[in-house]
Amino acid sequence: MSEDLESRLRAALTPVAPDDEFTQKLIARVTAEQGSQAHARGTHRRGPTATAWWLSAGVAASLLIAVGAQHHLQERRETERGLEARREVIEALRMTSQKLNLAYEVIKSQSPSPSPSPSPADDKPGV
Amino acid sequence: MRNCSLRMVLALMAPALVWAAPNPRLVLPEFSALAQKATESVTITLDSALLAMAGRFLNGDDPQDAATREILRGLQGIYIRSYTFDKDAAYQQSDIDAVRNQLTAPGWNRLVQTRSRKSQADVDIYIMVANNQATGLALIASEPRQFTIVNIVGAIDLDKLHKLEGQFGVPKLDIDVPKAAAPKPKK
Amino acid sequence: MNEAAAGFSDEQLVKARAGDSAALALLIRAHQRSVYSLALRLLGTKELAEDLTQEVFMQLNGNLKSIASNTHLLFWLRKVTSFRAIDQLRRRSRIEMTSLEDEASLISPAEGGDPLLQRHLQQLLMELSPPARAVLLLRYQEDLDPVDIARTLEMPINTVKSHLQRSLGILRQRIAHPDRHRCEDEST
Repeated sequence: MSEDLESRLRAALTPVAPDDEFTQKLIARVTAEQGSQAHARGTHRRGPTATAWWLSAGVAASLLIAVGAQHHLQERRETERGLEARREVIEALRMTSQKLNLAYEVIKSQSPSPSPSPSPADDKPGV
Repeated sequence: MRNCSLRMVLALMAPALVWAAPNPRLVLPEFSALAQKATESVTITLDSALLAMAGRFLNGDDPQDAATREILRGLQGIYIRSYTFDKDAAYQQSDIDAVRNQLTAPGWNRLVQTRSRKSQADVDIYIMVANNQATGLALIASEPRQFTIVNIVGAIDLDKLHKLEGQFGVPKLDIDVPKAAAPKPKK
Repeated sequence: MNEAAAGFSDEQLVKARAGDSAALALLIRAHQRSVYSLALRLLGTKELAEDLTQEVFMQLNGNLKSIASNTHLLFWLRKVTSFRAIDQLRRRSRIEMTSLEDEASLISPAEGGDPLLQRHLQQLLMELSPPARAVLLLRYQEDLDPVDIARTLEMPINTVKSHLQRSLGILRQRIAHPDRHRCEDEST
């Protein structure tokens, strides 16, 4: 049953292709962007003096970055831990709600309702 | 001498006083033997520090995050153990007895007990109340191939839990928080 | 991985990285189905899916030099698409996306497809939280195993398994009791 459902799910979720027109536009746009990037690289090519200047600036920047890197790394770890905690909280509340739902289904089947429920005698709530 | 005796009496009574204070935090066993048999196991341990950290990463503009943040306010911990098995009767009710026994301690009141022969799912919901405020919630759900234990510690506002309806699929449970002064009798 | 994606080689990737437009076009053709389908089923509308697909490939173009192999490329595309879609969904109301017209296009019109499953799956996709929906799609559309899904979505493996188990459970229940859920749906 489980394997059957999974294979049916795979069939139902086969990737679908976008419209041809969209594909053409997408390719045109991305390759045009690629061309303009290459062009920008070409026109901004520097001579040896400029390269040396950028190199020095790069070294100076690296020093600054190194100082900030430790701090950044610390912050990133904190962020990762926070996001992980957030995910776990949401997961915990989802699981709790799912189990509350189980209880609720039984209570609902017992409560008087205008529409007849199938076989309420099967379920026994005690509140 | 008299002072000394008094101190000694208090020292002897201290553990008893601590024991008498109802603690909504359950001691959840490791269930290591069951974890090995289980096809899936979920262990969530969120203490107050982790809850506070999670709260900082919830976006107040997002309705789901805002509702979650509201619920977290006042909570001191969320602890979940859930095990799923690939066949029926892979665990015994006695495996959960260690937890059930803790719920017979003073302070805990059984709020809901459901037994469904149809889905073979049993759900027991317990609540600890102090000063007309729920301070702890315990939920034990036993299904043929799964059991789940949820323990929420802290000031639980059931109204806020109700507000989760539609966010996490939490249904509106038409149940009232029992008053501390007149707790529901346990079965 | 679909057939088109499998046909794109590491050699072609090297060419695309070197600025070969034809190779880049091949790359897009090879991977657009996967990116577009993820975007479509996560976001729920064709327009949003097209926008996101374009954004993802534009971002890829800027990051192509950092892509080491085809496996890395697939991982990158799935991750960026899923994360961007989840971010978008968190920013806007979920209700916006449940236009019935758009919903009809989320499921593959497979030959001899099961209409009951398709209807419930459609409904389920709309109801699941964005991360849960991403997990389901990566499992059954992209055929990733739970470990790879956890890596792609930066999620604990147990969370991935829980999402899968819950989604399948709901679906199984709905298929078994279609009338009960229809009544519940109507009453809400």
